[in-house]
Amino acid sequence: MQTDFTAEQLRDPAIREAADILGTCVHYGFCTNTCPTYVLSRDENESPRGRIDLIREMLESEAPPKAQTVAHLDSCLSCLSCMTTCAAKVDYAHLIDRARFHVERRHRRPPAERALRALLAFVLPRPRLFHAALALGRLGRHLQRLLPSRLRPLLAMIPERTRAQILAPQVFKAEGESRTRVALLAGCAQQVLDGNINAATIRLLTRHGCEVIVAAEAGCCGSLTLHMGREDEAMAAAAANVRSWMRERRGEGLDAVIVNASGCGTTVKDYGHLLGRTELAGEAKEIAGIARDVTEFLAGIGLRPAAPERPRLRVTYHDACSMQHGQCVTRPPRDLLRAVGFEVMDVPEKHFCCGSAGTYNLLQPATAETLGRRKAGHIDSTAPDVVAAGNIGCLTQLRRYVGAPMAHTVELLDWATGGPLPPALAGAALTNRPAPEPEEATAATSAPAPNDDAGFW
Amino acid sequence: MAEAFFNEVATAIGAEWINRSEETLRRYGENTMPGGDRRPLGVVYPGSTAEVQAIVKAANRHGVALYPVSTGNNIGLGSRSAVHAGQVVLDLGRRMNRVLEIDETLAFAVVEPGVSYQAMYDELVRRGDKFMVDVTSGPPQGGMLGNALDKGAGYGPYFDHFGFSCGMEVVLGNGEVLRTGDGALAGSELPNWHVSKYSFGPILDGLFAQSNFGIVTRMGIWLLPRPPAVRSFHFTYPDDDDLGEIVDVCRALKLSNFVPTLLRVANDIYLCGSEHPSPDYSPSNRAPISDAARRALREKDGLGAWTVSGAFYGPSMAALDPQIERVRAAFGKSGKATYISHEEALGFHALQVAINACSGVPGVGELGLLKWRPGGGNLWFLPGTPMVGSIANECQRMARSIYAEHGMDYMIMNVCSARFARGLHVITFDRENPDENTRANACYEALARAYAERGIFVGRAPLDYHALHMGQAMPAFRDSCTAIKAALDPAGVIAPGRYGIG
Repeated sequence: MQTDFTAEQLRDPAIREAADILGTCVHYGFCTNTCPTYVLSRDENESPRGRIDLIREMLESEAPPKAQTVAHLDSCLSCLSCMTTCAAKVDYAHLIDRARFHVERRHRRPPAERALRALLAFVLPRPRLFHAALALGRLGRHLQRLLPSRLRPLLAMIPERTRAQILAPQVFKAEGESRTRVALLAGCAQQVLDGNINAATIRLLTRHGCEVIVAAEAGCCGSLTLHMGREDEAMAAAAANVRSWMRERRGEGLDAVIVNASGCGTTVKDYGHLLGRTELAGEAKEIAGIARDVTEFLAGIGLRPAAPERPRLRVTYHDACSMQHGQCVTRPPRDLLRAVGFEVMDVPEKHFCCGSAGTYNLLQPATAETLGRRKAGHIDSTAPDVVAAGNIGCLTQLRRYVGAPMAHTVELLDWATGGPLPPALAGAALTNRPAPEPEEATAATSAPAPNDDAGFW
Repeated sequence: MAEAFFNEVATAIGAEWINRSEETLRRYGENTMPGGDRRPLGVVYPGSTAEVQAIVKAANRHGVALYPVSTGNNIGLGSRSAVHAGQVVLDLGRRMNRVLEIDETLAFAVVEPGVSYQAMYDELVRRGDKFMVDVTSGPPQGGMLGNALDKGAGYGPYFDHFGFSCGMEVVLGNGEVLRTGDGALAGSELPNWHVSKYSFGPILDGLFAQSNFGIVTRMGIWLLPRPPAVRSFHFTYPDDDDLGEIVDVCRALKLSNFVPTLLRVANDIYLCGSEHPSPDYSPSNRAPISDAARRALREKDGLGAWTVSGAFYGPSMAALDPQIERVRAAFGKSGKATYISHEEALGFHALQVAINACSGVPGVGELGLLKWRPGGGNLWFLPGTPMVGSIANECQRMARSIYAEHGMDYMIMNVCSARFARGLHVITFDRENPDENTRANACYEALARAYAERGIFVGRAPLDYHALHMGQAMPAFRDSCTAIKAALDPAGVIAPGRYGIG
């Protein structure tokens, strides 16, 4: 795509980068097939290439962004499905981030929307505040009709039950000999929504010879504010984490930064870019280089399944977009779940977003609900005993629509290696599925090994 | 005229299923060919055969030309762009995307035009992964029905996608609905419709492959039981002229069907190009890759001038050991081939594409070819050769020199069956550069002429060249097509000009 930036505009390295990205889009259109908002609407401006055109026009112009352009950019999930399918490998992730920063700086949203965004950006990254807000929100449900309409979907989104467990900075010693020392990104909203995810992660890692630290002054990864266009806040959060983890790395050493919320993982792995034009550039790149999704890390060190009998359950594994498109981590979670004896099923149309997408389901509730129900239909069609995912956002979103219990992948792995039953499975009828044939089918497939009913081999 | 058409369609199917927005018209006109974009008059999304029928009847009444697409992923052959500006795109993929039936006893599926390879794969996996759909190595969101009708092919035993389709429902250009094969029997209970290809009367199915006589709205597609084990093998050869030896070895393996898959014989640039852009190319050097850079690419990836890939199916990986030994012996005779095992290939992007293709797993791995050069220009030239090594070598020398004359990079995969190999020649170019655009067009036309002079026709073609290729056919062939068009689509409302007909 040809662009028309002025020399003055191109002196800004951020615009220079955006111009380079824009230049790589050649409008093949592969992205349209896998973009959720385009598939739902068939509106070109709701597709990645349509948005790329709008971004070009917006960044080239000296005028404030048009409201219609902002609406089309706001409705992008940043699921990055388009990047997986793009033949020209357009770096859409950084382009849409840049566009969101531009909108945030140059566009004045209506007061109610501004207030809502500010509220979310302030509350969600602060676990104790978010915890209090959830309690308040539950009370507020009874007064829904008195609240502004923009706030009502938020109340509907509050889970019935949460298991908050906010971790203080500390060290968790390895069981037996320590093989490696890792930092856990304790996260922000996840600690409030489901503290068992971190607890299971820590049990699992320490059981497998890792010393786990929750580093002082590390907090929210910055992802939530990044995707709301609040660049400075995102960079501040990232910088705090980089400094904190680098202190550990220089001190007692740090082999990896473990992330168990894939939305956060995508951002941490991109710290080198987010802080690339700051004094922390080198350190940010170093931290990004040792950031691992927990399943990636576990696949590297190997799991020891526990001996006690457990039912062989059918686990339908949901790929969070940040996991499959953002980080391209698709095999480790499946391999680990299979290695500890679960039957693993894929979700049809797995490339499609569930509608969670950070704060998307709070800001765009109608589209999020359509996508959530669509995903839930596909999940339910696989008749799972339990659904696994590696991102708290997806778990929270899909629990509203999916019939089967849902657990984080690490909760199942923890259970299978000697930990407690995941809370989501408490009271559930657990069916024992038949064991597979000794030799698995081709590595390319992802379902149970085929039987001889269909053909003879 | 057009307004009256759209009003009638709105009444028949609902105004919300008509799209005439500026952005939509612009984007649906886009393609990757040198001839430029072609803006349609509108886009219509029917939801059923009855709605397609209503739209075709309205087109007849108002003299509007329709251009049906299934999923519109025929990138390099036309995308969703109509033959001429001003046609109305009938986008069947948006709403007619249902898997109508999967028969797990007789191993067939019945699909609407919008069912993609990925959707079928997902559905089969959901049902326990007992069956395998034969996939292309193109976009996973490509439509199965559209690919079969355009004579597309895959790589497994059911590679011939039109050949392994059975039984269609078609809305003819005159607005009538036709069922082919056993489906032609009057009535609604038709147990043989999608299992018997040879029913009473003429085989009309072939009329709708690469034609514009009707709009196929339903098709039966046969499925292969999924083998418990797929074990691939790969051999790489050092020199360009090794193609002859490879083709002769492949012929013997395929004539007896010792190897159940087709054999993918890809050149260095085809394989390396799916991972890397051209290392030599830049806006100031719009020349083909140099020999030195080509050698460096090969060394980097550990590949030679040609690499052969195929696979065996069996009850287990171990059970396939004897076949692997025998195929190694066949390719090993001359001492030129280097063997790459299945396990080694699994970690190798370009060869993983072949494994996926032979395993019925759709993937995006090969789409990287399209960024060998920037600028979004892409054409596929698709002739073939008989499976005779000397002829294959003659053809590659001829094509290689034509590419070079036009400053293009010779990028090809020969997909070898028993008697014929289709040559997937890729031309990637910067469509935004007028000179390169002109050279790409000239390159295609020169290839088309040279192959025709050698007595070789194309199997498929980019939309820009349909008229050219139809012009290469004997008059009786052209006249027959025209006569059939007049009989089935007398007002010429379905894709006039597509495949050079009407």
